Amino acid sequence: MNAWLSEQAAMHAWAIATAAVVSSGCALVGTLLVVRRMSLLGDAISHAVLPGIVVAVLAGGRPGGMLVLVAAVVTALLTVWLTQALKSRAGLAEDAAAGVVFTTLFAAGVVLVTAAAARIDLDPSCVLHGILELVPFDTVRLGGFEVPRAFVTAAAVFGLLLAAAILTWKEQLATAFDPAAARAAGIPVGLVTTGLLAATALATVASFEAVGAILVVAMLVVPAATAELLVHRLPWMALVAVIVAVFAACAGYLAAWWFNTSAAGMMAVVLGLEYFAAAVLAPSDGVLSRAVARLWLAWRVTCEDCLAAVWRSEELAADGRAEAPTAVSLWQSVAFRWLAASGQLVGAQGAWRLSTRGRVEAETVVRSHRLWEAWLGRHTELPLDHLHPPAEWIEHHLGATVRKRIEAEVGVQESDPHGRSIPPERK
Amino acid sequence: MERVTRTSGPGSDSGPALEFHDVTVAYGRRPVLWNIDLVIEAPGLFGIIGPNGAGKSTLLKAALGLVPLAGGSVRFFGRPLDEVRRRIGYVPQRETVDWDFPVSVMDVVLMGTYARLGWFRRPGSGERALANACLDRVGLADVADRQIGRLSGGQQQRVFLARALAQQADLYFLDEPLAGVDARSQEQIFRVLAELRAAGKLVVVVHHDLRTAAEWFDAVALVDMRLVAAGPTAAVLTPENLRRTYAGPLDVLDELGRAIEQGRRTP
Repeated sequence: MNAWLSEQAAMHAWAIATAAVVSSGCALVGTLLVVRRMSLLGDAISHAVLPGIVVAVLAGGRPGGMLVLVAAVVTALLTVWLTQALKSRAGLAEDAAAGVVFTTLFAAGVVLVTAAAARIDLDPSCVLHGILELVPFDTVRLGGFEVPRAFVTAAAVFGLLLAAAILTWKEQLATAFDPAAARAAGIPVGLVTTGLLAATALATVASFEAVGAILVVAMLVVPAATAELLVHRLPWMALVAVIVAVFAACAGYLAAWWFNTSAAGMMAVVLGLEYFAAAVLAPSDGVLSRAVARLWLAWRVTCEDCLAAVWRSEELAADGRAEAPTAVSLWQSVAFRWLAASGQLVGAQGAWRLSTRGRVEAETVVRSHRLWEAWLGRHTELPLDHLHPPAEWIEHHLGATVRKRIEAEVGVQESDPHGRSIPPERK
Repeated sequence: MERVTRTSGPGSDSGPALEFHDVTVAYGRRPVLWNIDLVIEAPGLFGIIGPNGAGKSTLLKAALGLVPLAGGSVRFFGRPLDEVRRRIGYVPQRETVDWDFPVSVMDVVLMGTYARLGWFRRPGSGERALANACLDRVGLADVADRQIGRLSGGQQQRVFLARALAQQADLYFLDEPLAGVDARSQEQIFRVLAELRAAGKLVVVVHHDLRTAAEWFDAVALVDMRLVAAGPTAAVLTPENLRRTYAGPLDVLDELGRAIEQGRRTP
């Protein structure tokens, strides 16, 4: 009983390990594809290599064998070449050309593999969807251990891709960032790109047994796209993409086992969830952090407006035209209460007065407002009644340094274009 | 008797820094630059001036082998491009790259050292020191670790200039380095270019602003699909030459270009 269990566990472990290695290779290659905005080409290649694989198997190659890998690379380059030819000779747009080429080649592959299914060791549904669950049953002896053949292929391909990435990193980086400058400096941009496409084909083919032709594009694109949301240096991006991919392989496989469904499908679903989580939670560009930033800005603007309103009412009171500011919205009445609680306002509803600290804040806002009106009046031909609305907005975004620069430009003035005094700098 | 050996340094150059010999450039089959004949000597600050769509950038790209020549030849220091690539620095237009690309300022400047390093070698501490010095020259030493997308337009342009400086070239091509650049960056960029000239280099700049051209360049070429005039700035920027440059594309060249593209005769 125990031996049976541990044998089961070993099977699952091998399947997970294979999935992890396979998707790591795809994530690595996918990082370069995504930053080069070539994700679509990754999709095209992953589909278009199918006929190459089928032909290689018909010619006696073994799935995951050398002949199949070479055939896949050749077909991938043929895809790209055909796409470019359609683009330049027939005047097709690049996306349309890629769409025509890869769907045609993929369809040819589907026709071939279905027609030849009886004669060759290549199961159509396995090619399309991958059967990760069967990976542990096809083994080779390696150093006294029974190792799944798919794992050996995947590990060899991953090693090759990693070595190639490390050795040609700077050429890949320069070509991806600025191909024109790279070419001008003598870097063989065409060769570097061809290398990346060949790597895409290799990563793809190594994944076929595990995840199939349809879902491999998720392994290529989603980890890198997720990483792009989280980090902003290419080496880190590659590393994070690999981590994202490995997590999806483990979590996806286990979830599929639990729910008794397709492992490849579940891995892609987990990848999608990871992307979604990153899009929401990313520290600087995430949906959540942006929403928090917007909310915080709205709160700051409201508080500053309330303080400025009290300051202006005190200014008017000096002329005997007092009109106490009151909250017109719930949001504002909360702001007034908070300003009072934090010691910037004193008094009570309907009769707020500024504390010393509140006065500094309020004068800074009013100063920004009136300086901006003065600046606009000087640099634009806006009529007087058009100066206030832009200043209402800009007053919340002017800092001390730029205020000083504006003051130097418009000259230290007693009053704004409306004839009201500009308070002195208090910060 | 003493024998003089020629080394491969700049001293052995057998010709002018840059020579366009009857260069014609075509996109597809349609010529966009006709019969450019131009010799530029180092050192100097040389401006290529002309209206939008005149083919100024195309002229640089043709010299660098980025677009094929339909006719003629370009020689650098008396030699073909492939022998002297590393002695030529190129600053493309800022809009040609994706500034959200995940690299830091330092990463980009280091790219200037890649060609010299050759395959399989990574930039080391020597290259980093050089890149830092180049960043210092353009006044960006304090933003070396920042992601390039977080820089202002002027700073981005200076990063590109620093990358070209890191190449330690003898001839620099800059494509519209001052487009959309704040006044402070403009001044900084031109100070660096003047330093390069003082160090004996040739700096060729595609430029659109006639107002500043007269004050910044030693010599200029006026280009509008063909070379209208070239020489010392004061002698070239005459009202007559400017009128000929900015009068709009020449009807005959336009007609001919379309006829060649479509494989027919002009009417």
